[in-house]
Amino acid sequence: MNRNYIFLTLLMLLLATGVLFLPEKPEYKQTKPEDLLYEIIQPTRYVTTDQVAKMIIDKDPSLELVDVRDVNSFEKFSLTNAINIPLDSILSESNQEYFGIPGMKVVFYSDDDIKADEAWVLTRRMGYKDTYVMTGGLNRWIETIINPKMPPDDAPYTAFEQYEFRKGAQMYFTGVKIEAKTTKAKVTVHRKKKKAAPSGGC
Amino acid sequence: MGPLIPNGVITGEWDFVIAILLGIAFGFLLEASGFSSSRNIAGVFYGYNFVVLRVFFTAVIVAMTGLLYFDYFGWIELDKIFILPTYLAPMILGSVIMGFGFLLGGFCPGTSYTAIAIGKLDGILFTVGLFIGIFLFSEAFPLFEDFYYSGFIGNVTLTDVTGIPAGWFAFAFTVIALASFWITMIIEKKVRKNIKEYKF
Repeated sequence: MNRNYIFLTLLMLLLATGVLFLPEKPEYKQTKPEDLLYEIIQPTRYVTTDQVAKMIIDKDPSLELVDVRDVNSFEKFSLTNAINIPLDSILSESNQEYFGIPGMKVVFYSDDDIKADEAWVLTRRMGYKDTYVMTGGLNRWIETIINPKMPPDDAPYTAFEQYEFRKGAQMYFTGVKIEAKTTKAKVTVHRKKKKAAPSGGC
Repeated sequence: MGPLIPNGVITGEWDFVIAILLGIAFGFLLEASGFSSSRNIAGVFYGYNFVVLRVFFTAVIVAMTGLLYFDYFGWIELDKIFILPTYLAPMILGSVIMGFGFLLGGFCPGTSYTAIAIGKLDGILFTVGLFIGIFLFSEAFPLFEDFYYSGFIGNVTLTDVTGIPAGWFAFAFTVIALASFWITMIIEKKVRKNIKEYKF
């Protein structure tokens, strides 16, 4: 027997035995870090309070509002048709059915951006697409939709349009009566001077 | 690091360059292993020459354990490599037909080209037949299209199907391969009186 064959056989056997002891790599199905970093800096992952308000008013069926605050805060105040998934239970098995529904846009909101952003990163890393964050959260919502401020006089035309929309949305969400847009001009009635009543006859 | 193209280490245009280099290496090794002779190849079916079995088993076990180690060292990401989709019944039938072709013609497609390269007439005829076969297959394809795509179970590996770690398969396969090397060597010695010992 050729000695080389014996040597190679033993070497191969040794290598193959070594393969048995290689640790198994845990498989995480998640977005790669580079992709995630790229997506984090995209402004398209944010939606404004105006956009959310419009979608709610239009009864957009693809909107899925997710409130990531705790249950107490959710019960005190929440947006129309929002579901409550507190941030600490966002990874739980039973909540996974809310994400990744084809055609649905998941919009996270909290009191501000921070918790909603965390929820966005967590779900994005799990590979769910079409998730968004409502900019500014409920604080911005109160500021812009519930108590909209009249833009200054020299603001561009679009600012006034936006204000008009917000007033409308305010009415939709709070039911306040909106005061008439036009300022009341004093109506002065100019009456015709009555001609002297006919007296006497010809 | 690897696979190189999916990870963007090199661009996709290198595909063809790599294909040519690998093709040259493959052809060279087929010829060097004696695969341009149909006697060497068909010998495995008649039990007097097992060079086919040894060469292919060697390639398989070296590549298999090598890839597992590469994966461990982080040189290649095994979950990124392409895995051929499995169509169970058509693949079994296909391999039976391939085996018959191997046995009758004395070549597989690759080795027939190495045979042409060294000017073998049977290699040339085999290749002509190969192209006629490809033509007939393409023309008649609608007849067995349904069967061709039947039994699809996805781009799976044995580990995906059975749940047994890849390392165990590699180990079992290596043991089987090494055992077959020694057994076939003994068989060859008994069958062929004038055998010359392989030296390297």
